[in-house]
Amino acid sequence: MTRVRLICVLAATCAVCLPAESVLAQVRAKADVTCRPAGTLQYDCTIVLTNSRTKEPLAGVTLTIGADMPSMPMMHNVRPVKAEPGETPGTYRARLALEMHGDWALQLNLAGPLRDRVLRTLRFDPDRVMPATKAPSHKH
Amino acid sequence: MIDFVQNTIDGVMIGSSYALLALGFTLIFGVMRRLNLSYGPSIMIGAYLGTLAYVQLSAGPAVVIAATVIGAVLAGVYVERLCFAPMAAGAGIASMVSSFAIWMQLEQAAILVLPHHTYPFPPLATGAPLTLGPFLLRVDHLITLGCALALSAAVQLLLYRSRFGLALRAIINDPVAAHLVGINVRTAVMLAFALASAVGGIAGYLVLATDQQVTPMFGMWATFKGLIAMMIGGLGSIPGAIVGGLVLGIVEAQSQWYFGPQVRDLFAYVLLFTCLVLRPGGLLGEPPTREPALGRGRA
Amino acid sequence: MDDYLVSVLSNIGVISFVALSAYLLLLTGEISFGQQAFFAIGAYAAGIATALWGWPLGAALAWGALAGGTAAVLVGLPTLRLHGLYFAVATLAFAETVRLLFEQFRYQVTIDGELVGPNGTDGFRGIRYIFENDVGSLQFLGLIYALLLAALAAFVLLERSRLGVAFRMIGEDATLAALNGIAVARTKLLAAGLAGALAGVGGGLYAHLTTYVEPRIFDVMLGVHSLAYGLIGGLGTAFGPLLGVLIDIGLLESVRVFAGYRMIIFGGLVALLLILRPRGLLDERVVHRIRRAWFRLLVRSHSTERLNRDLP
Repeated sequence: MTRVRLICVLAATCAVCLPAESVLAQVRAKADVTCRPAGTLQYDCTIVLTNSRTKEPLAGVTLTIGADMPSMPMMHNVRPVKAEPGETPGTYRARLALEMHGDWALQLNLAGPLRDRVLRTLRFDPDRVMPATKAPSHKH
Repeated sequence: MIDFVQNTIDGVMIGSSYALLALGFTLIFGVMRRLNLSYGPSIMIGAYLGTLAYVQLSAGPAVVIAATVIGAVLAGVYVERLCFAPMAAGAGIASMVSSFAIWMQLEQAAILVLPHHTYPFPPLATGAPLTLGPFLLRVDHLITLGCALALSAAVQLLLYRSRFGLALRAIINDPVAAHLVGINVRTAVMLAFALASAVGGIAGYLVLATDQQVTPMFGMWATFKGLIAMMIGGLGSIPGAIVGGLVLGIVEAQSQWYFGPQVRDLFAYVLLFTCLVLRPGGLLGEPPTREPALGRGRA
Repeated sequence: MDDYLVSVLSNIGVISFVALSAYLLLLTGEISFGQQAFFAIGAYAAGIATALWGWPLGAALAWGALAGGTAAVLVGLPTLRLHGLYFAVATLAFAETVRLLFEQFRYQVTIDGELVGPNGTDGFRGIRYIFENDVGSLQFLGLIYALLLAALAAFVLLERSRLGVAFRMIGEDATLAALNGIAVARTKLLAAGLAGALAGVGGGLYAHLTTYVEPRIFDVMLGVHSLAYGLIGGLGTAFGPLLGVLIDIGLLESVRVFAGYRMIIFGGLVALLLILRPRGLLDERVVHRIRRAWFRLLVRSHSTERLNRDLP
């Protein structure tokens, strides 16, 4: 009986969900991120946003940056930081305050004229930031 | 064919360090019938102490070994006092989860003190590998194998020739009966923990000195290797720990050679799963007639 | 509601699914370190369904649940005769195997000139359903909690049903349960399947929430955490794991002051809590007392009503 009820509730929720329209692909953003240490667990990041299709820089976007640790998803929540536009169009700057050193997946949330999200995983060490290694480092 | 034998040799060498880790694990499991998820991290605390000595004080290998073992023992006793001693007999899950919480705690404490991703460790042996016919034998691997054999023999001797060993075997056999005949179970268990941590500290030193570096990933790595080796060989069995460690080492070496490092880890876990499904007691352990008393947590 | 609060609440909602999944298995007395594998399977399955096959979200989530549930039953079969620690380590081995298999898994399709799909260790990017269909973050939060509430309602019904009693009986003593006429093997497989499906739904939601999954996310940490939530919050009721998630992620946010020491404090707190309450905060005794007090309250007010009505 309980299983039937559960299935009914699930089916009702599915019916409510919007069907996927075959929308023509919207603008997708490509991001290049470079960060430098600027204090204990503080990093200055420069992000360059381009349209992944036309390669033009994306200016005028509201960019918020969040961070999450891939090894412990959803358990570290760094408060998202709003990025300031930089000198050239398509460039943005932000200062991140992280909780510990290690690999962090930066979530670049775009709002404003277009909505998108790009993720970049970087390793944040006390003295430098580099692209993260893919697999967790194993011995031997 | 030569590759196969070379891999087997390499596997035995590496497997001997796994065997040591499994040895410590199985000691704890034997007396407590519970899984200590903080085992690797407590060894890592010792390793970090060792690397501190090496980096800050330019200490020699003897001091580093001592620091590693002392650090591991202190961390191990801390874990025992906090996660295992206060728990009632049935609260197995609670102590496991508690040890996991302390794992996180120890790992963060280590990263706080030494935030870089890698720290140097004094090398175990420098110099070219020895050759034995067409096969290569690294000197540091040989030292590891030798120490593993010596240490296992020492622990076996301790267990079967000393009063403390007798007390431990009594507790392993039946904790209640041991208590009734006057053995101070709580103290003996704490000392067993200390012994297991010391063995782990030495194992950790051997592994890290071979790699010449220590990273924060070491804690989790050590726990898993020790756990897999222990379960393959048989819970609560010292010869089982050795055999399990060697088997794991050989399987890993062969699969890494033929398939690459990612598949190597895959094989290790598939091996563990298959062993558990087909022969839960492990290769040398007893089949589990009664449930390993993790308990339902009756408070 | 500001974006940050929405994202934290979404995370709490999604993790609750895995926590409930581990809790369901704990009811039948089995410790599982491997629910993150079904979370992963659900995530990849649902992500593939929307991003590569163009399915609607509801169908994709159902597909993720089905994939998770089926995988759970397939794993449950060989591990039926394992108990306690052996079962726990077997689930751990299985979960790590799944994660490592996903590191090898490549299934890419060209959509609009770009390769989309799982790509081994690079992960699975571009699960952009919520962007392509203009689902706002608040709407998605609503979906997460609607499904979570449905799951909780199912749990409440389960606790009062024969099946729920059967689960707890098996958890207490499987031999006695069998002697009482319960088909232990089949019931345990049912529990495993349901738990896997639950984790699968959570995984599907997670994939669409973050638009990106990679194998590294689904490692042991997630599995042991989900088990820990049930144990911290209490094993007496399905709200226990939720309480555990709230304490962890909710408390973690408020203890932000101790930024670098959070794990140290939290780990110590959990260890101390487990010394005092090994079955969690809302353990069976507390839940029983709450129910009794509630019942007494109801009876008392009812009987006072009748007294006042009967007297002139």
